[in-house]
Amino acid sequence: MAVAELKKLDLYVHKSVCDDVLGVLQKVGCCEIISRTDDASREAPVMNERLQQIDGQISDIRFLLRFLEPHYKDPVSSLDRSLGERPIFSMEELEKLSAGTNVGDIAARMHSLESRLMAVRSEVSQNIGQLDLLKKFLDFPYPMEFLSCGTERVRGISGTLPVASLQGWKNAVESRLGKDTEIFVARVDEKDPDVWVTLLYAKEREPEAFEISSKYSLSRVEIPRNMTQNASDEIAVLKKRQDALAAEDAFIVRKVGEEAEKMVPAIRSLSDYYSSLRKRFEALDDSIVTEQTIALQAWVPVKAVDFLKRELLPFRDSIEMVLADPGEGDLPPTLLQNAKAALPYETLTKLYGVPLYGELDPTPLLAPFFFIYFGMCLGDAGYALVMIAGLLYFLRKYKRMPSSVKQFMHLILGAAVSTLIYGALTGSWFGDLVDSVGFLSFLKPIKNLFFVIDPMQKPMTILGIALTFGVVHLGFGLFIAFYDCLRKKDYMAAFCDKGAWITMLSGLLFLLGGAAGALPSVFSPIGKWMAIIGAVTVFLYQGRGKTGIMSKFFSGVLAVYGSTSYLGDVLSYSRLLALGLASAAVGVIINMLGKLSSGIPYVGWFVAILVVLVGHTFGLAVNVLGAFVHSLRLQYVEFFSKFYSGGGKFFSPLTYSSQYVDVTETSANS
Amino acid sequence: MEQYLGIMLSVLGAALAAGWAGAGSAIGVGIAGESGAGVMTEDPGKFGLVLLLQALPGTQGIYGLMTAFLVLLKVGLLGGSPLAVGIWQGLGICFACLPVAIAEYFSAIAQGKTSAACIQMIAKRPEETGKAVILPAMVETYAVLALLTSIILLNSIKL
Repeated sequence: MAVAELKKLDLYVHKSVCDDVLGVLQKVGCCEIISRTDDASREAPVMNERLQQIDGQISDIRFLLRFLEPHYKDPVSSLDRSLGERPIFSMEELEKLSAGTNVGDIAARMHSLESRLMAVRSEVSQNIGQLDLLKKFLDFPYPMEFLSCGTERVRGISGTLPVASLQGWKNAVESRLGKDTEIFVARVDEKDPDVWVTLLYAKEREPEAFEISSKYSLSRVEIPRNMTQNASDEIAVLKKRQDALAAEDAFIVRKVGEEAEKMVPAIRSLSDYYSSLRKRFEALDDSIVTEQTIALQAWVPVKAVDFLKRELLPFRDSIEMVLADPGEGDLPPTLLQNAKAALPYETLTKLYGVPLYGELDPTPLLAPFFFIYFGMCLGDAGYALVMIAGLLYFLRKYKRMPSSVKQFMHLILGAAVSTLIYGALTGSWFGDLVDSVGFLSFLKPIKNLFFVIDPMQKPMTILGIALTFGVVHLGFGLFIAFYDCLRKKDYMAAFCDKGAWITMLSGLLFLLGGAAGALPSVFSPIGKWMAIIGAVTVFLYQGRGKTGIMSKFFSGVLAVYGSTSYLGDVLSYSRLLALGLASAAVGVIINMLGKLSSGIPYVGWFVAILVVLVGHTFGLAVNVLGAFVHSLRLQYVEFFSKFYSGGGKFFSPLTYSSQYVDVTETSANS
Repeated sequence: MEQYLGIMLSVLGAALAAGWAGAGSAIGVGIAGESGAGVMTEDPGKFGLVLLLQALPGTQGIYGLMTAFLVLLKVGLLGGSPLAVGIWQGLGICFACLPVAIAEYFSAIAQGKTSAACIQMIAKRPEETGKAVILPAMVETYAVLALLTSIILLNSIKL
């Protein structure tokens, strides 16, 4: 069975070796710690202060990475890194690194740099505002002092006034305040509905000046009190200050850049180190801690038990291991175990949701169908060649890529091989590129060598094949359900539910085949009786749980009526034809557009090449997406609905975290 | 007159297929895009996933284009001389385009809405991208079936 068998490990560890033992558990990476936080017997967490300490370090590191990374020119691109191009460290090296690096000090230093930078930048933007303001006063003949704080006798206000009320305001000022004032009006801009005005007045008339101005809705602008000289002088001072600030900004940025260059790699490694430590102590937090011992609980794959025992041998005097089978109330996680050929298809199972512990793993069951369907949906040998070349390049270039990425690439590689086969059989190489481009005609014999059928010419044949695949796939799904019921010793469900459906549906198939002349006519009566027996069994079985003759009857009828859904399910496989046709036709269209554009004088050949290249790139992307999604859907919706429900939790053992670096000595969980 | 009418009816069919399917895809992709922009204001790093989901309602437009090309190829309007298409044949070709014209338009919009909802889903649960891609694909089934119907109908009309 392809869901790995797990053992429940009770591990009692003496406090003196607790850290080392946890280190080993993390190193072997095959134990999922069971959280007992909701356990009533749990005492107050003793180790929490260590966790808090690490959290402090981690938050410092997060700050440092956030602050420094934008200034860091990474020699390794993030794509390379996510594909496994990461520096390798051992845990000892990281320990040494962390001992030699005081993250707190660095963070404090960077904090002060950051706050200086912030101060500089906020002053710069403040100054820009002041400069804008001062520019409005270039025509103002007096020092700014009058407006900012006022002199002994004279004061002023300044602000914007709607153009419409300008004349009224002027008149009002002149009539009310008379000679004690002076008015400055900036040039009226035709587009601007407001005009900038300044009013000087004798200090004692201030209330009147305010009253008039607010009546004409002058919106007053406060002039900063530090502005005392003429506007042009103030501007000169500010500009000088801005230059100094810009220089300081550049200096700080350069300094941060240098620090980033020096420290980011180390900080990144430490980020992984502390995250790893955090996981380790979280495990402790999840366990029961008494005065002298720690009681850990973990799930361990049976296959890894011996290995784990060997690794823990040095501590045999201070630990006690008890292994047990999963009990009644336990919810063990699911670890999938598959042969190498089926391994890439685990990605698809995980995408849907892994099975519950002890259930069937659908991975090897869906693998061959996905392989074939993808090929039929994409169905172009040219595209397949491009995909294979690209994937092989990536797989060769990045030897250390994470296993999930590697699996996915192998999955698509397999799908591309299938596409190559189907494309060659249907004679589709970048659509009809070989036929439509004159100088490629030497490839025709190769194309014709594999050519069997053209779906464009004989769509009904391919439709028949697609629907046959549907029948086989659905039947296979039902058989798996039947087998699964037998495996669980639920004979009633096996024979009366699944078995009856199989009988009824295959009976209907025989009946249809006999009637259509595809099968010998002797199948017709056999099919008829099989269908009737199956239908009656389904009818009786479904109704048995209900009380009352009417509800028994209706639920039975409803169940038999459910057979129509199988018709829909089978027809759903017609997408294999449609998508295959679509990618072939899109290819043909692109080639035709290329051919048409080659008629343009002088540059035609160039345009044609461009159209063909861009067009096929686009076609490849769209069709790969479509082929993936639809061949997946046939698994999830049509196939899985017959026997599979997922719902498990994926096995996630205690391991090192490796966002930036690879920590070695982690043996892959086996 | 008669020979032109046949051809022109075919052109009408091709135009309906490409036009309605394209319009539907435009609306669908637009709906999904609006939702995606909202998600990306929070997390620009989701661009790849959002783009993937936004692209899903775009296939209907391609199916429409494809149908139009198949029609034009059939009546010889693309490269080569137009064939003689009778009125009844032309009308048949026009009708054969209707499944694509109708189903692609509405399914693209519906798929756009589903994609938009799924984009919201991956905003909260990026690990469920696989499921988020499947839900819009459920809608596309009917677009594929309509395309299939149109292809088979076109194929069955003999010129």
